[in-house]
Amino acid sequence: MNISTSPWVWIAALLTLMIYSFLYKENPFYRLAEHIFMGLSIGYAVVIIWYNYVLVRVYKPLFFPPHQWSLIFPILLGTMIFGIFSKKYTWLIKYPFAFYIAGYAGISIPVTLQAFVLKQVEASFLTPEKFSSIPGSINSILIFVGLITTLIFFYFSTKREHGFGTAAKVGIVFIMVAFGASFGYTVMARISLLIGRMQFLIQDWLGIM
Amino acid sequence: MKKQVPLLITFLTGFIVIVSFFVPHRPFGILETQVLTWYAIIFGFTMLIGVDSLIRLHVRKTQRRKKGWWYSIVFFAGFLYCFVTGVISLIRTSNPFSPGTVFFYGYRTILIPLQSTMFALLAFFIASASYRAFRARNIDATFLLIAAVIVMIGRVPAGYKLWPRLPEVANWILNVLQMGPMRGVMIGIALGAVAMSLRLILGIERTYLT
Amino acid sequence: MFFLLIFSFSISAKDTPNDAGGSITVSTYNIPHYTERIELYRKVKGDTLYKEAGLISLYKGEFDDTLAVAGESYLYRARAITKDTVYIAMTEEFVSSSPQWFNKSRTAVLLFIVIFGSFVFVFIQLAKKNPEGLFIRRLPAIDAIDEAVGRSTEMGKPVLFIPGIEYITDAGTLASITILQRVGKKVAEYGTRIIHANFDPVVMTAAQETLKTAYAEAGRPDAFNKDDVFYLTSEQFGFAAGVDGIMERERPGAIFLQGYFYAESLILAETGYSIGAIQIAGTNATTQLPFFVAACDYVLMGEEMFAASAYISREPRLLGSIKGSDLTKSILLGLIGIGVTFGTVASLLKQAGNPAYMEIFNKVLDFLAMGAR
Repeated sequence: MNISTSPWVWIAALLTLMIYSFLYKENPFYRLAEHIFMGLSIGYAVVIIWYNYVLVRVYKPLFFPPHQWSLIFPILLGTMIFGIFSKKYTWLIKYPFAFYIAGYAGISIPVTLQAFVLKQVEASFLTPEKFSSIPGSINSILIFVGLITTLIFFYFSTKREHGFGTAAKVGIVFIMVAFGASFGYTVMARISLLIGRMQFLIQDWLGIM
Repeated sequence: MKKQVPLLITFLTGFIVIVSFFVPHRPFGILETQVLTWYAIIFGFTMLIGVDSLIRLHVRKTQRRKKGWWYSIVFFAGFLYCFVTGVISLIRTSNPFSPGTVFFYGYRTILIPLQSTMFALLAFFIASASYRAFRARNIDATFLLIAAVIVMIGRVPAGYKLWPRLPEVANWILNVLQMGPMRGVMIGIALGAVAMSLRLILGIERTYLT
Repeated sequence: MFFLLIFSFSISAKDTPNDAGGSITVSTYNIPHYTERIELYRKVKGDTLYKEAGLISLYKGEFDDTLAVAGESYLYRARAITKDTVYIAMTEEFVSSSPQWFNKSRTAVLLFIVIFGSFVFVFIQLAKKNPEGLFIRRLPAIDAIDEAVGRSTEMGKPVLFIPGIEYITDAGTLASITILQRVGKKVAEYGTRIIHANFDPVVMTAAQETLKTAYAEAGRPDAFNKDDVFYLTSEQFGFAAGVDGIMERERPGAIFLQGYFYAESLILAETGYSIGAIQIAGTNATTQLPFFVAACDYVLMGEEMFAASAYISREPRLLGSIKGSDLTKSILLGLIGIGVTFGTVASLLKQAGNPAYMEIFNKVLDFLAMGAR
């Protein structure tokens, strides 16, 4: 056994144990680690804002050639957000928010349709390669049925009667199997995270092994 | 007026950005990159509201000596530590994020272990969730459970020892049975999200502007 | 080393399509065997000397000269270099680049937006004219909101609402605000305390306004405590640590996890379960849905989240938009059905010696995947 003498390793190890103590129950040690975590992450955020936004994106492009004067526009909009601090001018924040939210909505519409709808539909067509063997054909048909019944499950404006209801029921079975598979697939990955932390405690901190 | 103008901004911004996806010609082609740079700046401003809200909350807790107020002092200590080392590193090296600065060192030795420990709590939680899933509540949950167990065991060496074809079955579930429904769920989400965005641009959905 | 002018190795240059100008695509043909590299040179009209333009990728056999100035005319010359020979090819006509007004590779997306958009628009108009007869299927997770808030009130416990860890720009986050409206209405009616912890400050302000309105509408504007809607942190696991702490200390009777989540989803859902709260989750994150389904009492799965606002408000315009979405889904189902049949027939015919259908089929596939490759 060769216990670490580095204060940093000790801090990391104690914080690790404090977080784990949560598994027993909420306690002052966990709360201490939680507040340290919160404080650090906010301090970190402030440094990021200062460096990445104020210095790199505003100060340098604005005050050094080639001056990007167009940046005054977002800065002005950004300043309007401070309207929130006064009762009288709170309404000002609606302008930057409208511009910000609508722009992202506009950017996402075509991209989402392209990548998550059209591309997926194209991938669902059956090509000759998919029929090259009997198991391959069965699998292709299963994928097809899984997709169709799942889409039917997500119909909202049609009553679930007759064949439609049956299809939706088959759909939910497929969905549950898919979720189960995804769940089972993740278990080992999560266990390995724990192994990583245990290695840190046992090797780096306590120096065993 | 106070309500109409933001709605007009919403419509025009959304519409122009969509058009720019299809038009490579100036000024449309470069619009997306330009707008994203602007958004990054606005984003910086929005974060200040958050920092302000949180600091005020802890100041109030400390002033009023609310229960557990001294945890707020711990919060400020963590905050100041990051802030001060950040400023020192910024002055010394002009980039606080370059390896070797005090700021980066604190990040690597305190913040990262905290993050990975929180993340690693999942090992316990996934175990407890699996345990509960074992007592499948209904028929749907039973399907989830069966698929989960086969995939879970099929992917470890013990699964092979149990039945040599189990890993194959697990892979078949992952590559075939999972494919169709996941694609369906994805298409559904995409359509729902696009419809939501369209409603927003058309001014039908306006909760965020209340 | 000796130079050879071989006719078989050749190049062609054309304006790169679908761009803003400033790029010329140079393609190569019949690259000699054992070529080690192909150097490309360009000459501006009026100049006498060729200048280096770059190396043509041997794998692609193509090069996009993005340093070409729009409007300027160029000639190109390529040198394919093998171990002992240099092969030379050149273009004979001047080429210039120009910007295009329409990106043809995105036609399929445009067509689809137009179809989808018009369905949504038309059904909204129809719904406004005839609000009766609009049906929307049950969403048990939304029906359970009243019960969950009610039980929390009886037990004298607060309600906790977590809007996920994405920004306001995510459609799932926006959907979570519409769900908050409903929850807000109930907590205001019952006079129950609601805690709303945030990852994005903008979501925080939107939530504050939403709840303020809900309390005002319930006739008790004073009961709303702005401090209960707060920003926590924008650090994923810091947020999870904070929310876990809040759950254990405040012991809410009902927990709403609505929005986009990442790996922390299960940390939150399991802690919520351990304190015995009713949990109503909802997410548009496909990767996290399995965990919510396994750990929570009710779940809004994916698209159900986006239908929630229509289900809650029963507003004709929202219901109309849902109908429009559903019809688009029918079109997709039809498209997939036709594609499957067509693909099967085409492959059978190809086997029987008639490849014509296969070609059409492949063109359809290319059209759909345009721009996504």
